[in-house]
Amino acid sequence: MKFSSALLPLLLAPLGACEHTSNWAVLVGTSRFWFNYRHLANVLSLYRTVKRLGIPDSQIILMLPDDMACNPRNAFPGTVYNNADRALDLYGDNIEVDYRGYEVTVENFIRLMTDRVAEDMPRSKRLMTDERSNILVYMTGHGGNEFLKFQDAEEISAYDLADAFGQMWEKKRYHEMLFMIDTCQANTMYSKFYSPNILATGSSEIDQSSYSHHADNDVGVAVIDRYTYYNLEFLETQVRDPTSKLTMGDLFDSYDEAKIHSHPGVRYDLFEGGEAAARSRLVMDFFGNVQNVELDGGESRNETQWQEELAAIERMIDEAKRRHNESLSVRPLAEHLVEEAEQPQPQPQQSLKAGAVRVDEESGWQKQVVGAAALLGCAGLWAVGSWLESA
Amino acid sequence: MAPPEGADAPAAPKADPKPSDPPSESIVASRTNKQPPAETLESLWVRRWVILSFWAVVACLGLPMWWKTTAIYRADLPLQDMTDWADGKICRPVFPLRIAVEASPQVQDAHRLIRTTQHALDDLNEFSAHHLRLILADLPLPANASQQAIIDGTSSTGDDQDIALSVRLIPVETGETPRSHLQPYAPTLDVYYSPNQIPSASSTASPLATFVAHELHKIFADEQARLSYLLSASSSGHATKWKALSAETAAELQRQSTRVLKYAPTYHLTFSLFTPTSVPSAWDIEPALRQYLTPLLESFATISNFTIDTQVQLYATFSPSIRQPEYDEDLKAWTLRKEDLSGFINAAEWPLSPSIGEGPTVNFALYVPEQSQSPLLVKENGASSWLVPQWGGVAILNPTSSAAIPKALAKEALVPAMQTFSNQLISLLGLPQTPASLPLRLSTLTRVRAASLIFSASSTLGALAQVYQKMPSIPVPDSVAKSVDLTLGHLQQACDHFRDGRFQGALEHARIAEAQAEKAFFERSMVGQVYFPDEHKVAVYLPLLGPVAVPLVMAALKEIKSGIATLRRR
Repeated sequence: MKFSSALLPLLLAPLGACEHTSNWAVLVGTSRFWFNYRHLANVLSLYRTVKRLGIPDSQIILMLPDDMACNPRNAFPGTVYNNADRALDLYGDNIEVDYRGYEVTVENFIRLMTDRVAEDMPRSKRLMTDERSNILVYMTGHGGNEFLKFQDAEEISAYDLADAFGQMWEKKRYHEMLFMIDTCQANTMYSKFYSPNILATGSSEIDQSSYSHHADNDVGVAVIDRYTYYNLEFLETQVRDPTSKLTMGDLFDSYDEAKIHSHPGVRYDLFEGGEAAARSRLVMDFFGNVQNVELDGGESRNETQWQEELAAIERMIDEAKRRHNESLSVRPLAEHLVEEAEQPQPQPQQSLKAGAVRVDEESGWQKQVVGAAALLGCAGLWAVGSWLESA
Repeated sequence: MAPPEGADAPAAPKADPKPSDPPSESIVASRTNKQPPAETLESLWVRRWVILSFWAVVACLGLPMWWKTTAIYRADLPLQDMTDWADGKICRPVFPLRIAVEASPQVQDAHRLIRTTQHALDDLNEFSAHHLRLILADLPLPANASQQAIIDGTSSTGDDQDIALSVRLIPVETGETPRSHLQPYAPTLDVYYSPNQIPSASSTASPLATFVAHELHKIFADEQARLSYLLSASSSGHATKWKALSAETAAELQRQSTRVLKYAPTYHLTFSLFTPTSVPSAWDIEPALRQYLTPLLESFATISNFTIDTQVQLYATFSPSIRQPEYDEDLKAWTLRKEDLSGFINAAEWPLSPSIGEGPTVNFALYVPEQSQSPLLVKENGASSWLVPQWGGVAILNPTSSAAIPKALAKEALVPAMQTFSNQLISLLGLPQTPASLPLRLSTLTRVRAASLIFSASSTLGALAQVYQKMPSIPVPDSVAKSVDLTLGHLQQACDHFRDGRFQGALEHARIAEAQAEKAFFERSMVGQVYFPDEHKVAVYLPLLGPVAVPLVMAALKEIKSGIATLRRR
C-alpha cells in the first residue's frame, strides 16, 4: 500500500480527483429552545449550502433538536432565517430532517457514526459510508472545555467523539473527514482525536466564547453565529458552482479574527501529508459531491451483434439449467454427492434458526407457568378473603 | 447477645453506688470522678461485633454487588486469531486452476504433451499464488466426435465445476496450425494442430506445447493481474507483487476499483425515466428489461442476485447550479460540458434513493430531452451516455427522427439505452473485458469477489479486535463472540476451498463470513457512553455513599484506636 500511495500521484495525475467516490455530510445542532434559534439557523444554512453544491439528501444526515419554524414565538411562522434581511428562507419547501426533537441524543449520534443501529433503521437515517467516502461533520450548540451539550440534558465529550471517529477509521468508514464545530471553546473538542485523515477546525480556543453575529429585531433573537456566518460568506460568495477549484487553505485563510471575535483553530497533524496536503484539498471535496464521471466511448457496439450475444447467453443459461435438471433427475448419486459437499455451509444457519426457535419456546413456556401461577395465586387470595369474610 | 446487654445496663447504676456507703464520700466521689462507668468487657465486644458485622455486610455483599452491577460484560474473543487473519498470516489465498486437456486418441503421448506444456506454463508464470494445473480429461472423445463437438459447443465436460477451462486438441489437415479458438459461451479452448506438431518421444520441447502454454497464459493474464493487484492492495505483506504489474495495468486496475460497486449478495437496480416535459409518460420497460437485461442478470446468478424497480418522473428540471445546455453550431446539437455532468443528476429533486430492501442501489437514469433541446450530447466527445462510479449510469435518449416525442416509448426505442445500461452494469459489477469467453470472465469475477470478501471479512475482524482492545469500556455480548467464531470457521473453510480449487464454494463461505463479521462489528449493544470524567464519578458516588461511609469509617477508626490503646496498656 505504501508503494502504491507513493506511485499513485505520479501515475494517476488525471485521476487524482477520484480518490473518493462519495460525499456525506452530518450536520448536527444540539440545542433546543427558542433563544437558541441561531444554532438551528447555523445548521440549516450549512444544509442548504452542501445541498446546493450537490450532496443529495440521501447523503446528508440532518439532526435538528427543535423546530424553530413552528415555534409559537416565531413571528414568521414556517420560516427560519439566518439574516436580518430575511431574504432567504432556510426552511424552504424541500428539507429532509433525519433526526429531530428528542431523537437528537449523544447515543444516537454515536450510533449514527459507528452505524450500530437497529435493523429496521431506514437507510435515510444511516451513514452508509465506506473507505472511499469523504465526510463533513458540522456541529453547533453550547459547549465548554472538551464537551458539547446536547439538548441541555447530556453532553458528548471530546473523548467520546474521538473514540467514535477511531472506530470509524478502524472499520474504514471514511476516506477523509472535515470536522467543523461552532461552539464556545470549540477547539478543545478536536484536541483528543487520534484517527488519521481528519481535518478539524473550530470557532474558538479554550476559555474563549463563540459569539453570535447579529440579531433580528423582529424575530427577536440572534439569527446566526459569527464563525458560521463567515464560513458561509466564503462558501456562498466564492464557491459559486460545483466546478470551483478553491481549496480548504483558501477557506481557512478567509477567517478574520477581528470579525469572528475569537480565534478559530485548524488541526492539520492528523491529515496524511500534514498541513500542505490538507490545505490543498478542494472545498468541494468536503462540501460538494464531485464525482468523476466516465464518458462512454463515442463508438457504440454493433446492435445486432449485441442482440445475438444476448440470445447466446440465454441459450447458455438454458443449457446450464437443463444440464442441472438432468443431473438432478438422472443421476441420484451425483445429487447425493452435491448435497454432501454443501452440507457444512447451510448448517450454521440451521443451527442459528434452531437456537432462535428454542429460546422462543422456552420463554413462552416459562411465561405460561408464571401466568398460571399468578392466576392461581389470585384465585387463592380471593378464596381466602371470601372465607375470612364469611367466617 | 442482645438480652444480656439489656439486663446489664440497668444493673450497672445499682452496682456503682454500692462501694461508697457514706453520702459525703459519694458527693466527693461524684465531684472528682465524673467519668461514665467503665464499660464492661461484654458490651465492648458487642459493639465491636456490631461494627464488624456492618463492615462484613459492606465487604461481602455491598462491594461484590456494586462490582457486579457496574461491571461491563465483555465476552472473550479470540483476539490473536482475529489479528492474524487481518494481517494475512493465516490464509494466503491461492488459486490453483484445473485445466482439463482433451486429446483425441491419436495423440499417443498425451501425458507427455501435458507434462511439457505444464513445464512451459510454469516457466511463464510470475505470480506464484495463481497456478494453472493441466490434467488429462477422463473421457477421451471418440475420434469422430471432435468435429461434432465444435458445432455443439456446450457438449463438453462442463458438468465439473472445478474445471476452470477445457482445452480440446483437434487435429486438422488444413489451415494455419497451430491456431486456437476460445468459445465465447463455454469455458472451452479449441486448439487446432497438424499431426506433425505432436512432440516426438525424443524432443523435450514442441511447438504445440509452447503454443498451448502461451495461449493459456494469455487467457489468464488479466485475471492474474487483477488478483495480484487485489493481494497487493489488501495487505502490505504482498507489496512486492505490485512490481510485477506494469504501470498502465496498475493504473487501469486502480481506476476500475474506484468504479466497481462493493460486493453485495443482492443489488437493487432502479431504472428511471426523466423528462423535462410531460412526454413521454410511459415506456415499455418491462418487456425491454426481460429481453435485454434478464439474460445478463441470470448469468450473474451464481455471484449476486438482483431486484429491479422502475419509475417515470415528469417535469424533471436540471439543478440550477449547473450550466444550462448550449447550442453547438458544429455539432448541430445541444451540448453539455463534461465538468457539468457530475451535477447533471439533480440529486436534490429527482427521487433516486428509494431506500428499498437490503442491498445497495444501482441507478440507471434515462433522460429524454425536450424537443427544443434535442439532440443533447456531451460537448467533448459527442457521447450521450456516461457512467458514475459506484452509483450507476446515465443515458440521454435523443429521438431518431424529427417527429414529436411519442407519449409512450416503445421497446424498440429503448434498445440503445438498454445496450448502454447493460454495458454500464457490466463494468459496475466489475466483470473483466477479457478473455472473450463469458463463463471464464464470470469465474474470474467469482475468484476476485471471493478473495476480496475474505480480505474484507478479515479486516473487519482486525478492526473489531482493535476496538475491543482499545476501548475497554465497551460492552461485548456473547452474540459477538458467536459471530466471530462463525466468521473464523467460514473464513477457514473458504480458504480451504480456495486451496482445493473449488471457487464457488469459497465464494459462498466468504459471503457468510463477511456477513457474520459485519454483524459482529455492528452489534447494536456495543455502544457505551464510554468516557466519564472523574468529577462525574465523584458527583455520582459522594451523595450516595458519603452519609453511609462516614459513620462506618469513623466507628471503625475509633474502635481500632481504642483497641490499640488497650493493647499498649497491657
